[in-house]
Amino acid sequence: MVGILLLLCIAMFTLYFRESDSGVVHGAQGAVLRVVAPLQNGTARATKPFRDAWNWTADLFSAKSENAKLKRELEQLRAGVASELATQDENAQLRAAVALHDAGIFPGTARLVTARVVARSTTAWYSTVTIDAGGDDGIGLYDAVVNGAGLVGRVTKLEAGAAQVTLITDQQSYVDSMVVPGGAQGIISGSVTGDITMQYVDRNEKVKVGQYVVTSGRAGSIFVRGIPIGQIESVGLQEVELYQSISVRPFVDFRKLDIVQVVLP
Amino acid sequence: MIPNPARTVPEEEPRWWPSPALVARLGVILLVAVLLQTAVASNFRILGANPDFALIVVVCVALLKGSETGAIFGFLTGALVAVALMEPFGLSAFVFVVVGFVAGRYAETADLSHGFAPLVSVFVATFIAGVLLALAQFLLARQVPLGFFLGRVLVPALILNTLLAAPLYLVVRWWLRGGGDLRAVRTR
Repeated sequence: MVGILLLLCIAMFTLYFRESDSGVVHGAQGAVLRVVAPLQNGTARATKPFRDAWNWTADLFSAKSENAKLKRELEQLRAGVASELATQDENAQLRAAVALHDAGIFPGTARLVTARVVARSTTAWYSTVTIDAGGDDGIGLYDAVVNGAGLVGRVTKLEAGAAQVTLITDQQSYVDSMVVPGGAQGIISGSVTGDITMQYVDRNEKVKVGQYVVTSGRAGSIFVRGIPIGQIESVGLQEVELYQSISVRPFVDFRKLDIVQVVLP
Repeated sequence: MIPNPARTVPEEEPRWWPSPALVARLGVILLVAVLLQTAVASNFRILGANPDFALIVVVCVALLKGSETGAIFGFLTGALVAVALMEPFGLSAFVFVVVGFVAGRYAETADLSHGFAPLVSVFVATFIAGVLLALAQFLLARQVPLGFFLGRVLVPALILNTLLAAPLYLVVRWWLRGGGDLRAVRTR
């Protein structure tokens, strides 16, 4: 019995990588996901106040300088306002998303589809999330995903009512980008640690800590020009290297990812 | 000290097939474990790791119901996790089949009189699952830095999952009370 199950796993795994997205295994995955996604959505919504309270508590430990103030606020949370805070947070996210849209970054023809993150990868090896909008909402493969803070990632798998978004922190994520002001071009790439770096920036380009990094929107890029990505944290330059080593702190807080928008070209 | 299931002589005769009631209970716990794993666990980072509810529940079911049930339950749990996260199909299922079978065989054949079986089993299962998943990533040509894997993936997961093993085991054992003994070989 166990041997059969293991062989079945290997067969499924092999078939998954060999077949196209419309293949048997992908189709079965999509069919089951149609049932599971609403349950995930419900679970994510039901547990959001607890997640917010948890994140809020976690932040307490990293903000010692504001300890007294945060403790007072924690008391308020304990008094039972967690769900109200969750709603406020949701409103803030939506307002930020609208502000990003109003900034005129996206082409006039672009349409934004708002979605909620209902699941996220639990292993350290993948930085992906599942959102509760998919092909039925007009979303296509490789569409850009943003939130109010900036670029989140791109759609990498698509089902009727759900989609997988690969975050820019994933080790197999690469984004055409540029430094502003200045215009130095490079590639933002993720890593297994979740940090992002800007690669292939010519050693002669003047790049400083604190400058912003945005999508470059070069021909062939799947992202439009000017979506905020992050801020330069450090710049390293070895004498023997052709390119600079640039560490970037993303604007998006991926730990608290909740409401996102998919940019339909 | 957690009471040892393997030392309790069941009132019913061992059976190979679970009753419909037990199947229903296993189905509920499967769904809850997958939803907890995909929609909740990833948002809670404790001691540097995310709790692996699915893995712990597979081990608990295997300890309580044996290797065959553990392997099948592991297969279904892994498959459903992959579906819910839209991840490569078959990888999690493979890992959970191995973990479910090993934990089940441990319960069937070892002397578990010290009563720490769930903790030991979850610790070992986390190690096996961590190594297998890392190996798979390596074979898929993804980065697997050894220092990162040991320090920021494996060790935190070992600590956290072992800490969560006892409470989850008690919950699973309470939920699966009755329903017959499916373990193939039992120690007394």
